[in-house]
Amino acid sequence: MRMIIKNSGRGILSALFLFILPAQLLFAAPPDGYNFLPLGKAIQKATAEHKPLFLYFGRYGCSTCRKMHKEVFTDTTIQSTYSNDFVLAYVDTESGNRIRLPSGERTTEMQFAAKNRILGTPTFIYFSNDQKPVFKRAGFQTIEKMNKYSDFVTQGHFKSTSLKEYLAQE
Amino acid sequence: MINLGFTVVLLLLSVNSYATDKWLFSEKTAVTRKPQAGVFLHLDGSNRKHIAVSQNIVLVVWEDDHSSDPQVYLSYKERSADHFSKQVLVSSGTEAYEPAVANLSNDGFVVTWEQDAAVYARLFINKALITPPIKLSKAVAGHATVITLENKVYIAWREQIGREWFLKVAFLKVSEDQQLRVIQQKSVEIEGIKSALLYPALAVSELGLTVTWEDRRAGHTRLMFSYSSDQAQSFSEPQYLNEFYSNRNEFDKGNGVTRVSIAAFAEDELIAAWMDKRRGENGYGIFSALGADWGPAFGPNERVHSQFGDNLPHYNPATAGNKKGDFVVVWDDYRHGNSDIWMSSYDDDSEWTEDYTPAIASGEREQSHPAISLDEQGNLHMIWMDRFDLNSPAQIWYSSGKLILK
Repeated sequence: MRMIIKNSGRGILSALFLFILPAQLLFAAPPDGYNFLPLGKAIQKATAEHKPLFLYFGRYGCSTCRKMHKEVFTDTTIQSTYSNDFVLAYVDTESGNRIRLPSGERTTEMQFAAKNRILGTPTFIYFSNDQKPVFKRAGFQTIEKMNKYSDFVTQGHFKSTSLKEYLAQE
Repeated sequence: MINLGFTVVLLLLSVNSYATDKWLFSEKTAVTRKPQAGVFLHLDGSNRKHIAVSQNIVLVVWEDDHSSDPQVYLSYKERSADHFSKQVLVSSGTEAYEPAVANLSNDGFVVTWEQDAAVYARLFINKALITPPIKLSKAVAGHATVITLENKVYIAWREQIGREWFLKVAFLKVSEDQQLRVIQQKSVEIEGIKSALLYPALAVSELGLTVTWEDRRAGHTRLMFSYSSDQAQSFSEPQYLNEFYSNRNEFDKGNGVTRVSIAAFAEDELIAAWMDKRRGENGYGIFSALGADWGPAFGPNERVHSQFGDNLPHYNPATAGNKKGDFVVVWDDYRHGNSDIWMSSYDDDSEWTEDYTPAIASGEREQSHPAISLDEQGNLHMIWMDRFDLNSPAQIWYSSGKLILK
């Protein structure tokens, strides 16, 4: 009997250093007021500026995404922190837009999301400023949590403690 | 003696064949070369029409980048042969993606694909590409798919003119001098749409042509369909295929649906299947609807996959049917840890069977991205991608399932 269901975070490492092929329309919408970039451009910018990457997996029509856009991403602290301290990337989990993986493989945003076993939207993956994945969160996140997540990454707490322990300390 | 014979038969079956409840699958046959580091291939086109079977030939199309840039290739074999031909380059541009294939009545085939943001098609007859690619689209285009009825050819794709989206359907015929002739080209809706129209799928019978697609005009993705009874000269008003299954709160426009596949079966029936996120946090399920009489409606949406494995996502559904009345839906999911190929069809009570996975396309490796064709005897021809793990290069394999249980 084989093992039942592996870690849904599998494959995240392969997300690093992606390059977008000739741009097509960005079908789904990230929140207004933010400079979300196509994944390839975001990785290039984050690498060049040595900034952490914030990767947002969304879906066109996603209700929880809309709720977060209205109730969380409109918060001025969130907007300031995420816009200034992160490079922002957005992936539409149903899109046929093509991206290039670090292995050289060209695939679609949808297949990339499937390969990384992104079950629901929104899913957020935080990367360190050397573009290594730090943690993943899925579903609705409050303003308070989003602020703690950003501090955990940008202040380097992840180097000495787990997210669970960090949140408990707070 | 009888027992000995029976034992021998069982032994042979266990060595050479892989049974499911319904089909006895042959040993797998390699379609593409052995996996090579740095070379990536894909089976990811509209309606997953990557395999077609004529009276004597099995033909497979895919995209890979072994020549540096992604290009479209085909390989074929006699149905009785134990190996596929060398790969044949089909595309001719800088980059090519997402091919689809359908068979003609004379052991010929039509291949369509996206190349440099346009849609092309060409003929493969007598084991050779006999015509250069013909360009079908006039603006930025992709998501091409093809269906045939004897020598009548229908190709659909999405096209963007400025900020407007169109679903185009071309009706083509193979002329006596074996050229692919465009008879006409129409938009399903004459007016362009301001939101995305994606991944069309086609099914055809003597009664007409049905096209389904992903449609974002409602503020979320819905599946729509339209039909034509005059060889794609005109199309009916688009209607919804998937049921609206949300509205939980003020933010909820509807659950995700994507990658619809459709096939004709019997004389006048249709099976459509797609990825459907109505189950919320469990990811996509495989849902379906059956249509009849090529009329204005499909039946209610039905969950295809069984309860076992219901708590995880399912991907890459493909459908196939035949005039005898057989139909089947295949997909991949990782309920056993690694991705395997799964399938289901109706039982005698018109209920979806328990999911089954052919041993030939399951196991410790990653088996995914199936494409299928049902022949008129009910035998199932299947290809799939096989990888050591999710980050390894892939190989395409083929197996034929001999119908053992109606």
